[in-house]
Amino acid sequence: MARDRNSQVDYARPVRRILIGVLVVLMLGTFLLWRIDSPRVERFRATLVDRVVPSFDWALLPVTKLVGLVEGFQSYARLSEQNQELRRELRQMKAWKEAALQLEQENAKLLDLNKVRLDPKLTYVTGVVLADSGSPFRQSVLLNVGARDGIIDGWATTDGLGLTGRISGVGRTTSRVILLTDSNSRIPVTIQPSGQQAILAGDNTAAPLIEFLESPDQVRPGDRVVSSGDGGVFPAGLLVGQVALDPERRLRVRLAADYERLEFLRVLRSHAHEVITDTGGLIAPPPPAPVAEAAEPEAAVEDADG
Amino acid sequence: MVDPATTQRWLYRLLFVALAAALLFLRLLPLDMTPAALPGPDLLLCLSLAWVQRRPDIVTPLLLGTLLFLSDMLLGRPPGLWAALVLIAAEFLRSRHQGAAEMPFAIELSLVASAVIALAVAYWAALGIFTIPHPGLDELMMRAVFTLMAYPAVVGLSRLAFNIRRLSPAEAEPGGLR
Repeated sequence: MARDRNSQVDYARPVRRILIGVLVVLMLGTFLLWRIDSPRVERFRATLVDRVVPSFDWALLPVTKLVGLVEGFQSYARLSEQNQELRRELRQMKAWKEAALQLEQENAKLLDLNKVRLDPKLTYVTGVVLADSGSPFRQSVLLNVGARDGIIDGWATTDGLGLTGRISGVGRTTSRVILLTDSNSRIPVTIQPSGQQAILAGDNTAAPLIEFLESPDQVRPGDRVVSSGDGGVFPAGLLVGQVALDPERRLRVRLAADYERLEFLRVLRSHAHEVITDTGGLIAPPPPAPVAEAAEPEAAVEDADG
Repeated sequence: MVDPATTQRWLYRLLFVALAAALLFLRLLPLDMTPAALPGPDLLLCLSLAWVQRRPDIVTPLLLGTLLFLSDMLLGRPPGLWAALVLIAAEFLRSRHQGAAEMPFAIELSLVASAVIALAVAYWAALGIFTIPHPGLDELMMRAVFTLMAYPAVVGLSRLAFNIRRLSPAEAEPGGLR
Protein backbone atom coordinates (compact mmCIF):
# COMPACT_ATOMS: atom_id res chain seq x y z
CA MET A 1 0.00 0.00 0.00
CA ALA A 2 2.71 2.41 1.09
CA ARG A 3 4.85 1.63 -1.93
CA ASP A 4 1.85 2.05 -4.12
CA ARG A 5 1.35 5.55 -2.83
CA ASN A 6 4.97 6.45 -3.37
CA SER A 7 4.90 5.32 -6.93
CA GLN A 8 1.81 7.44 -7.45
CA VAL A 9 3.68 10.51 -6.29
CA ASP A 10 5.99 10.22 -9.26
CA TYR A 11 3.14 10.25 -11.73
CA ALA A 12 0.83 12.60 -9.92
CA ARG A 13 2.27 15.93 -10.94
CA PRO A 14 2.84 15.37 -14.67
CA VAL A 15 -0.52 13.66 -15.03
CA ARG A 16 -2.17 16.52 -13.22
CA ARG A 17 -0.39 19.02 -15.46
CA ILE A 18 -1.61 17.21 -18.56
CA LEU A 19 -5.14 16.97 -17.21
CA ILE A 20 -5.27 20.68 -16.44
CA GLY A 21 -3.78 21.52 -19.81
CA VAL A 22 -6.36 19.40 -21.60
CA LEU A 23 -9.19 20.94 -19.58
CA VAL A 24 -8.06 24.50 -20.25
CA VAL A 25 -7.60 23.80 -23.95
CA LEU A 26 -11.05 22.21 -24.13
CA MET A 27 -12.66 25.20 -22.42
CA LEU A 28 -10.87 27.78 -24.52
CA GLY A 29 -11.73 25.68 -27.57
CA THR A 30 -15.41 25.85 -26.66
CA PHE A 31 -15.05 29.59 -26.20
CA LEU A 32 -13.46 29.98 -29.62
CA LEU A 33 -16.08 27.75 -31.20
CA TRP A 34 -18.75 29.87 -29.55
CA ARG A 35 -17.14 33.01 -30.94
CA ILE A 36 -16.97 31.56 -34.45
CA ASP A 37 -20.22 29.62 -34.60
CA SER A 38 -22.33 31.13 -31.88
CA PRO A 39 -25.78 29.77 -32.92
CA ARG A 40 -24.68 26.16 -32.61
CA VAL A 41 -23.18 26.57 -29.14
CA GLU A 42 -26.13 28.70 -28.04
CA ARG A 43 -28.45 25.90 -29.16
CA PHE A 44 -26.40 23.52 -27.05
CA ARG A 45 -26.71 25.94 -24.14
CA ALA A 46 -30.47 26.17 -24.59
CA THR A 47 -30.70 22.37 -24.55
CA LEU A 48 -28.55 22.18 -21.43
CA VAL A 49 -30.59 24.82 -19.61
CA ASP A 50 -33.70 23.03 -20.77
CA ARG A 51 -32.41 19.86 -19.12
CA VAL A 52 -31.04 21.35 -15.90
CA VAL A 53 -33.26 24.19 -14.77
CA PRO A 54 -36.70 22.51 -14.86
CA SER A 55 -35.21 19.84 -12.59
CA PHE A 56 -34.71 22.62 -10.04
CA ASP A 57 -38.30 23.68 -10.55
CA TRP A 58 -39.71 21.89 -7.52
CA ALA A 59 -37.37 23.92 -5.32
CA LEU A 60 -37.33 27.19 -7.26
CA LEU A 61 -41.04 27.88 -6.90
CA PRO A 62 -41.47 27.29 -3.13
CA VAL A 63 -38.35 29.29 -2.22
CA THR A 64 -39.40 32.17 -4.44
CA LYS A 65 -42.88 32.12 -2.92
CA LEU A 66 -41.42 31.99 0.59
CA VAL A 67 -39.26 35.06 0.01
CA GLY A 68 -42.26 36.78 -1.54
CA LEU A 69 -44.25 35.93 1.59
CA VAL A 70 -41.62 37.44 3.86
CA GLU A 71 -41.53 40.58 1.76
CA GLY A 72 -45.32 40.70 1.80
CA PHE A 73 -45.25 40.40 5.57
CA GLN A 74 -42.91 43.33 5.85
CA SER A 75 -45.25 45.41 3.79
CA TYR A 76 -48.12 44.73 6.23
CA ALA A 77 -46.41 47.16 8.57
CA ARG A 78 -47.08 49.97 6.13
CA LEU A 79 -50.63 48.85 5.49
CA SER A 80 -52.62 51.91 6.53
CA GLU A 81 -50.20 54.18 4.74
CA GLN A 82 -50.54 52.13 1.57
CA ASN A 83 -54.31 52.10 1.94
CA GLN A 84 -54.52 55.86 1.90
CA GLU A 85 -52.18 56.07 -1.00
CA LEU A 86 -54.28 53.58 -2.94
CA ARG A 87 -57.47 55.49 -2.21
CA ARG A 88 -55.90 58.64 -3.54
CA GLU A 89 -54.75 56.83 -6.63
CA LEU A 90 -58.16 55.26 -7.08
CA ARG A 91 -59.80 58.67 -7.12
CA GLN A 92 -57.43 59.78 -9.84
CA MET A 93 -58.02 56.58 -11.74
CA LYS A 94 -61.77 57.11 -11.73
CA ALA A 95 -61.31 60.43 -13.42
CA TRP A 96 -59.09 58.80 -15.99
CA LYS A 97 -61.51 55.94 -16.50
CA GLU A 98 -64.27 58.40 -17.30
CA ALA A 99 -62.04 60.13 -19.81
CA ALA A 100 -61.00 56.82 -21.31
CA LEU A 101 -64.59 55.67 -21.75
CA GLN A 102 -65.52 58.86 -23.50
CA LEU A 103 -62.52 58.60 -25.75
CA GLU A 104 -63.27 54.99 -26.50
CA GLN A 105 -66.80 55.81 -27.64
CA GLU A 106 -65.57 58.66 -29.74
CA ASN A 107 -62.86 56.45 -31.21
CA ALA A 108 -65.36 53.73 -32.07
CA LYS A 109 -67.56 56.24 -33.86
CA LEU A 110 -64.70 57.70 -35.82
CA LEU A 111 -63.39 54.28 -36.79
CA ASP A 112 -66.83 53.32 -37.99
CA LEU A 113 -66.96 56.41 -40.14
CA ASN A 114 -63.49 55.88 -41.50
CA LYS A 115 -63.57 52.17 -42.36
CA VAL A 116 -60.11 51.81 -40.87
CA ARG A 117 -58.61 48.33 -40.97
CA LEU A 118 -56.73 47.81 -37.71
CA ASP A 119 -53.93 45.35 -37.10
CA PRO A 120 -55.22 41.89 -36.27
CA LYS A 121 -55.27 41.31 -32.52
CA LEU A 122 -52.15 39.70 -31.14
CA THR A 123 -52.58 36.37 -29.44
CA TYR A 124 -50.27 35.29 -26.69
CA VAL A 125 -48.83 32.43 -24.66
CA THR A 126 -48.32 33.04 -20.97
CA GLY A 127 -45.31 31.55 -19.21
CA VAL A 128 -44.12 31.40 -15.61
CA VAL A 129 -40.74 32.91 -14.81
CA LEU A 130 -38.53 29.99 -13.81
CA ALA A 131 -35.18 31.57 -13.17
CA ASP A 132 -33.16 34.74 -13.23
CA SER A 133 -30.00 35.22 -15.30
CA GLY A 134 -27.95 34.78 -12.12
CA SER A 135 -25.32 37.25 -13.23
CA PRO A 136 -25.14 40.92 -12.22
CA PHE A 137 -24.13 41.94 -15.74
CA ARG A 138 -26.94 40.23 -17.59
CA GLN A 139 -30.65 40.93 -17.39
CA SER A 140 -32.67 38.02 -18.60
CA VAL A 141 -35.22 35.53 -17.29
CA LEU A 142 -36.09 31.97 -18.15
CA LEU A 143 -39.70 31.10 -18.99
CA ASN A 144 -41.28 27.67 -18.76
CA VAL A 145 -42.60 27.77 -22.32
CA GLY A 146 -40.47 26.77 -25.27
CA ALA A 147 -40.44 25.29 -28.74
CA ARG A 148 -43.07 22.78 -27.54
CA ASP A 149 -45.48 25.71 -27.15
CA GLY A 150 -44.53 27.19 -30.50
CA ILE A 151 -42.30 29.95 -29.14
CA ILE A 152 -40.01 31.47 -31.77
CA ASP A 153 -36.91 33.62 -31.31
CA GLY A 154 -37.55 37.34 -31.43
CA TRP A 155 -41.13 37.42 -30.17
CA ALA A 156 -42.00 40.23 -27.78
CA THR A 157 -42.94 39.63 -24.15
CA THR A 158 -45.01 41.85 -21.87
CA ASP A 159 -46.09 41.58 -18.26
CA GLY A 160 -49.64 42.48 -19.24
CA LEU A 161 -49.01 46.19 -18.91
CA GLY A 162 -45.74 47.08 -20.54
CA LEU A 163 -43.13 45.53 -22.79
CA THR A 164 -40.50 43.59 -20.87
CA GLY A 165 -38.21 42.16 -23.53
CA ARG A 166 -37.89 39.68 -26.34
CA ILE A 167 -37.26 35.98 -26.68
CA SER A 168 -33.67 35.06 -27.34
CA GLY A 169 -32.88 31.39 -27.15
CA VAL A 170 -35.53 28.68 -27.21
CA GLY A 171 -35.20 25.22 -25.72
CA ARG A 172 -37.81 22.49 -25.90
CA THR A 173 -39.59 23.48 -22.70
CA THR A 174 -37.87 26.70 -21.74
CA SER A 175 -37.00 29.95 -23.41
CA ARG A 176 -34.87 32.91 -22.41
CA VAL A 177 -36.15 36.47 -22.42
CA ILE A 178 -33.62 39.29 -22.80
CA LEU A 179 -35.05 42.12 -20.72
CA LEU A 180 -35.08 45.70 -21.97
CA THR A 181 -32.55 46.60 -19.25
CA ASP A 182 -29.91 44.19 -20.59
CA SER A 183 -26.94 45.87 -22.21
CA ASN A 184 -27.54 43.87 -25.41
CA SER A 185 -31.14 44.96 -25.82
CA ARG A 186 -31.98 47.40 -28.65
CA ILE A 187 -35.63 48.08 -29.44
CA PRO A 188 -37.08 50.54 -31.97
CA VAL A 189 -39.56 52.87 -30.25
CA THR A 190 -41.80 55.81 -31.01
CA ILE A 191 -42.21 58.69 -28.57
CA GLN A 192 -45.85 59.47 -28.53
CA PRO A 193 -47.04 63.05 -28.91
CA SER A 194 -44.19 64.08 -31.20
CA GLY A 195 -44.12 60.76 -33.06
CA GLN A 196 -40.33 60.59 -33.20
CA GLN A 197 -38.48 57.37 -33.82
CA ALA A 198 -35.66 56.29 -31.56
CA ILE A 199 -33.82 53.24 -30.28
CA LEU A 200 -34.23 52.10 -26.71
CA ALA A 201 -30.84 50.80 -25.59
CA GLY A 202 -30.48 48.90 -22.34
CA ASP A 203 -27.37 49.66 -20.29
CA ASN A 204 -27.72 47.45 -17.23
CA THR A 205 -29.56 50.09 -15.22
CA ALA A 206 -33.23 50.18 -14.25
CA ALA A 207 -34.05 52.83 -16.88
CA PRO A 208 -32.78 52.22 -20.45
CA LEU A 209 -31.40 55.05 -22.58
CA ILE A 210 -33.06 56.63 -25.61
CA GLU A 211 -30.62 56.81 -28.50
CA PHE A 212 -30.65 58.10 -32.09
CA LEU A 213 -33.31 60.69 -31.45
CA GLU A 214 -33.82 63.22 -34.25
CA SER A 215 -34.65 66.31 -32.22
CA PRO A 216 -34.45 65.84 -28.46
CA ASP A 217 -35.98 69.25 -27.76
CA GLN A 218 -39.37 68.00 -28.94
CA VAL A 219 -39.38 65.34 -26.26
CA ARG A 220 -40.12 66.16 -22.68
CA PRO A 221 -40.21 64.00 -19.53
CA GLY A 222 -43.50 62.21 -19.12
CA ASP A 223 -44.04 61.49 -22.82
CA ARG A 224 -45.31 58.03 -23.61
CA VAL A 225 -42.94 55.60 -25.27
CA VAL A 226 -44.38 52.75 -27.36
CA SER A 227 -42.70 50.17 -29.53
CA SER A 228 -42.58 50.93 -33.24
CA GLY A 229 -42.81 48.29 -35.91
CA ASP A 230 -39.59 49.46 -37.52
CA GLY A 231 -37.60 46.67 -39.07
CA GLY A 232 -40.57 44.35 -38.90
CA VAL A 233 -39.19 42.55 -35.87
CA PHE A 234 -41.52 43.81 -33.21
CA PRO A 235 -45.25 44.39 -33.08
CA ALA A 236 -45.96 48.13 -33.04
CA GLY A 237 -47.85 50.05 -30.41
CA LEU A 238 -46.92 48.14 -27.25
CA LEU A 239 -46.51 50.40 -24.24
CA VAL A 240 -42.91 50.62 -23.06
CA GLY A 241 -42.92 53.42 -20.49
CA GLN A 242 -42.45 57.12 -19.92
CA VAL A 243 -39.60 59.42 -20.79
CA ALA A 244 -37.54 60.62 -17.84
CA LEU A 245 -34.43 62.77 -17.49
CA ASP A 246 -31.48 61.43 -15.53
CA PRO A 247 -29.14 63.66 -13.48
CA GLU A 248 -26.81 63.96 -16.48
CA ARG A 249 -29.71 65.30 -18.56
CA ARG A 250 -29.84 62.24 -20.79
CA LEU A 251 -33.20 60.89 -21.88
CA ARG A 252 -34.15 57.58 -20.33
CA VAL A 253 -37.33 55.52 -20.15
CA ARG A 254 -39.03 54.65 -16.91
CA LEU A 255 -40.42 51.24 -17.80
CA ALA A 256 -44.11 50.54 -17.43
CA ALA A 257 -43.58 46.86 -16.65
CA ASP A 258 -43.05 46.08 -12.97
CA TYR A 259 -39.57 44.60 -13.02
CA GLU A 260 -39.54 43.94 -9.29
CA ARG A 261 -42.31 41.40 -9.63
CA LEU A 262 -42.05 39.50 -12.85
CA GLU A 263 -43.89 36.26 -12.20
CA PHE A 264 -45.77 35.68 -15.42
CA LEU A 265 -44.87 36.94 -18.83
CA ARG A 266 -46.97 37.03 -21.97
CA VAL A 267 -45.19 36.03 -25.13
CA LEU A 268 -46.93 37.75 -28.02
CA ARG A 269 -47.25 35.66 -31.15
CA SER A 270 -46.21 38.00 -33.90
CA HIS A 271 -46.61 36.61 -37.35
CA ALA A 272 -44.27 37.35 -40.16
CA HIS A 273 -45.19 40.53 -41.94
CA GLU A 274 -46.17 40.35 -45.54
CA VAL A 275 -43.37 41.96 -47.48
CA ILE A 276 -43.95 43.88 -50.67
CA THR A 277 -40.95 43.04 -52.79
CA ASP A 278 -41.61 44.38 -56.31
CA THR A 279 -42.76 47.71 -57.56
CA GLY A 280 -46.31 47.90 -58.90
CA GLY A 281 -47.02 46.42 -62.33
CA LEU A 282 -47.59 48.67 -65.33
CA ILE A 283 -51.23 49.62 -65.71
CA ALA A 284 -51.90 49.31 -69.44
CA PRO A 285 -54.23 47.49 -71.88
CA PRO A 286 -53.31 43.81 -72.27
CA PRO A 287 -50.52 43.35 -74.85
CA PRO A 288 -51.55 41.90 -78.24
CA ALA A 289 -51.12 38.13 -78.47
CA PRO A 290 -47.86 37.15 -80.15
CA VAL A 291 -49.28 34.43 -82.42
CA ALA A 292 -50.20 35.69 -85.89
CA GLU A 293 -53.36 33.60 -86.36
CA ALA A 294 -54.81 34.70 -83.07
CA ALA A 295 -54.24 38.34 -83.86
CA GLU A 296 -57.18 38.80 -86.21
CA PRO A 297 -60.12 37.81 -84.09
CA GLU A 298 -58.69 39.77 -81.16
CA ALA A 299 -58.35 42.85 -83.27
CA ALA A 300 -62.00 42.46 -84.28
CA VAL A 301 -63.03 42.30 -80.65
CA GLU A 302 -61.05 45.41 -79.86
CA ASP A 303 -62.70 47.24 -82.75
CA ALA A 304 -66.07 46.22 -81.47
CA ASP A 305 -65.17 47.52 -78.04
CA GLY A 306 -63.95 50.85 -79.38
CA MET B 1 -12.30 -2.66 1.26
CA VAL B 2 -12.73 1.08 1.00
CA ASP B 3 -10.51 2.85 3.45
CA PRO B 4 -12.13 5.58 5.58
CA ALA B 5 -9.93 8.39 4.25
CA THR B 6 -11.15 7.71 0.70
CA THR B 7 -14.78 7.58 1.83
CA GLN B 8 -14.36 10.86 3.62
CA ARG B 9 -12.75 12.44 0.58
CA TRP B 10 -15.63 11.38 -1.63
CA LEU B 11 -18.14 12.69 0.91
CA TYR B 12 -16.36 16.04 0.90
CA ARG B 13 -16.43 16.06 -2.89
CA LEU B 14 -20.17 15.49 -2.82
CA LEU B 15 -20.48 18.29 -0.30
CA PHE B 16 -18.52 20.62 -2.58
CA VAL B 17 -20.77 19.80 -5.52
CA ALA B 18 -23.85 20.30 -3.35
CA LEU B 19 -22.62 23.69 -2.12
CA ALA B 20 -21.80 24.82 -5.66
CA ALA B 21 -25.24 23.66 -6.84
CA ALA B 22 -26.88 25.52 -3.96
CA LEU B 23 -25.01 28.72 -4.86
CA LEU B 24 -26.01 28.39 -8.51
CA PHE B 25 -29.58 27.73 -7.45
CA LEU B 26 -29.67 30.83 -5.24
CA ARG B 27 -28.31 32.91 -8.08
CA LEU B 28 -31.01 31.62 -10.43
CA LEU B 29 -33.92 32.40 -8.08
CA PRO B 30 -36.21 34.87 -9.83
CA LEU B 31 -36.58 37.32 -6.94
CA ASP B 32 -35.94 40.75 -8.33
CA MET B 33 -35.43 41.55 -11.99
CA THR B 34 -34.31 45.16 -11.59
CA PRO B 35 -30.59 45.53 -12.28
CA ALA B 36 -28.68 45.75 -9.01
CA ALA B 37 -26.77 48.95 -8.32
CA LEU B 38 -23.77 47.00 -6.97
CA PRO B 39 -22.66 43.59 -8.20
CA GLY B 40 -22.50 41.17 -5.29
CA PRO B 41 -19.62 38.82 -4.52
CA ASP B 42 -18.94 35.78 -6.68
CA LEU B 43 -19.38 33.20 -3.94
CA LEU B 44 -18.64 30.23 -6.17
CA LEU B 45 -15.21 31.72 -6.88
CA CYS B 46 -14.63 32.31 -3.15
CA LEU B 47 -15.61 28.76 -2.32
CA SER B 48 -13.41 27.27 -5.05
CA LEU B 49 -10.35 29.29 -4.11
CA ALA B 50 -10.79 28.69 -0.37
CA TRP B 51 -11.22 24.95 -0.71
CA VAL B 52 -8.55 24.45 -3.32
CA GLN B 53 -5.96 25.86 -0.93
CA ARG B 54 -7.16 23.94 2.09
CA ARG B 55 -8.06 20.59 0.65
CA PRO B 56 -6.48 20.24 -2.78
CA ASP B 57 -7.25 16.52 -2.63
CA ILE B 58 -11.00 17.26 -2.65
CA VAL B 59 -11.23 19.96 -5.28
CA THR B 60 -9.66 18.18 -8.23
CA PRO B 61 -9.19 20.05 -11.52
CA LEU B 62 -11.73 17.85 -13.28
CA LEU B 63 -14.42 18.47 -10.66
CA LEU B 64 -13.73 22.20 -10.50
CA GLY B 65 -13.57 22.52 -14.28
CA THR B 66 -16.88 20.72 -14.78
CA LEU B 67 -18.65 22.86 -12.18
CA LEU B 68 -17.25 26.09 -13.57
CA PHE B 69 -18.14 25.17 -17.13
CA LEU B 70 -21.69 24.27 -16.08
CA SER B 71 -22.05 27.59 -14.28
CA ASP B 72 -20.77 29.39 -17.39
CA MET B 73 -23.44 27.66 -19.42
CA LEU B 74 -26.28 28.27 -16.96
CA LEU B 75 -25.45 31.89 -16.17
CA GLY B 76 -25.23 32.92 -19.81
CA ARG B 77 -21.56 33.86 -19.84
CA PRO B 78 -19.37 33.17 -22.88
CA PRO B 79 -18.90 29.42 -22.43
CA GLY B 80 -15.50 28.26 -21.23
CA LEU B 81 -13.61 31.53 -20.88
CA TRP B 82 -14.30 32.31 -17.24
CA ALA B 83 -14.03 28.61 -16.37
CA ALA B 84 -10.59 28.31 -17.96
CA LEU B 85 -9.33 31.47 -16.25
CA VAL B 86 -10.58 30.40 -12.82
CA LEU B 87 -9.11 26.94 -13.30
CA ILE B 88 -5.71 28.45 -14.09
CA ALA B 89 -5.95 30.76 -11.06
CA ALA B 90 -6.93 27.85 -8.80
CA GLU B 91 -4.01 25.77 -10.04
CA PHE B 92 -1.67 28.69 -9.43
CA LEU B 93 -2.88 28.98 -5.83
CA ARG B 94 -2.67 25.22 -5.38
CA SER B 95 0.94 25.18 -6.52
CA ARG B 96 1.77 28.00 -4.05
CA HIS B 97 0.73 25.66 -1.26
CA GLN B 98 2.62 22.63 -2.39
CA GLY B 99 5.73 23.35 -0.30
CA ALA B 100 4.61 25.28 2.74
CA ALA B 101 2.22 23.48 5.05
CA GLU B 102 1.40 26.56 7.04
CA MET B 103 0.77 29.94 5.54
CA PRO B 104 -0.39 33.02 7.47
CA PHE B 105 -3.86 34.10 6.51
CA ALA B 106 -2.72 37.62 5.57
CA ILE B 107 -0.35 36.22 2.97
CA GLU B 108 -3.01 33.87 1.67
CA LEU B 109 -5.47 36.75 1.40
CA SER B 110 -3.01 38.87 -0.54
CA LEU B 111 -2.33 35.94 -2.88
CA VAL B 112 -6.05 35.46 -3.42
CA ALA B 113 -6.50 39.20 -3.93
CA SER B 114 -3.89 39.29 -6.66
CA ALA B 115 -5.45 36.20 -8.29
CA VAL B 116 -9.00 37.62 -8.20
CA ILE B 117 -7.95 40.99 -9.58
CA ALA B 118 -5.82 39.35 -12.28
CA LEU B 119 -8.86 37.22 -13.15
CA ALA B 120 -11.06 40.30 -13.55
CA VAL B 121 -8.49 42.07 -15.74
CA ALA B 122 -7.81 38.97 -17.86
CA TYR B 123 -11.53 38.34 -18.34
CA TRP B 124 -12.12 41.95 -19.32
CA ALA B 125 -9.15 41.93 -21.70
CA ALA B 126 -10.17 38.63 -23.33
CA LEU B 127 -13.72 39.84 -23.89
CA GLY B 128 -12.36 43.05 -25.34
CA ILE B 129 -9.96 41.26 -27.67
CA PHE B 130 -12.71 39.02 -28.98
CA THR B 131 -15.03 42.03 -29.28
CA ILE B 132 -17.78 40.58 -27.15
CA PRO B 133 -20.16 43.07 -25.50
CA HIS B 134 -18.93 43.12 -21.91
CA PRO B 135 -19.26 44.94 -18.61
CA GLY B 136 -16.78 47.71 -17.92
CA LEU B 137 -13.56 47.18 -16.02
CA ASP B 138 -14.88 49.30 -13.14
CA GLU B 139 -17.88 46.99 -12.69
CA LEU B 140 -15.70 43.88 -12.80
CA MET B 141 -13.29 45.45 -10.29
CA MET B 142 -16.20 46.26 -8.00
CA ARG B 143 -17.24 42.63 -8.17
CA ALA B 144 -13.66 41.51 -7.43
CA VAL B 145 -13.57 43.75 -4.36
CA PHE B 146 -16.86 42.34 -3.09
CA THR B 147 -15.57 38.83 -3.73
CA LEU B 148 -12.46 39.58 -1.66
CA MET B 149 -14.57 41.00 1.17
CA ALA B 150 -16.60 37.81 1.21
CA TYR B 151 -13.53 35.57 1.11
CA PRO B 152 -12.64 35.54 4.86
CA ALA B 153 -16.27 34.82 5.71
CA VAL B 154 -16.33 31.88 3.28
CA VAL B 155 -13.08 30.54 4.76
CA GLY B 156 -14.40 30.90 8.33
CA LEU B 157 -17.72 29.28 7.51
CA SER B 158 -16.13 26.32 5.75
CA ARG B 159 -13.86 25.91 8.77
CA LEU B 160 -16.69 26.10 11.32
CA ALA B 161 -19.44 24.30 9.50
CA PHE B 162 -17.55 21.68 7.48
CA ASN B 163 -14.17 21.52 9.25
CA ILE B 164 -12.30 22.45 6.09
CA ARG B 165 -8.78 23.19 7.25
CA ARG B 166 -5.35 22.61 5.91
CA LEU B 167 -4.12 19.09 6.57
CA SER B 168 -0.86 18.60 8.40
CA PRO B 169 1.86 16.97 6.27
CA ALA B 170 1.29 13.73 8.11
CA GLU B 171 -2.39 13.65 7.20
CA ALA B 172 -1.96 14.96 3.72
CA GLU B 173 -1.79 12.43 0.97
CA PRO B 174 -0.31 13.85 -2.14
CA GLY B 175 -1.82 11.09 -4.24
CA GLY B 176 -5.23 12.74 -4.36
CA LEU B 177 -5.61 12.88 -8.07
CA ARG B 178 -8.69 12.43 -10.16
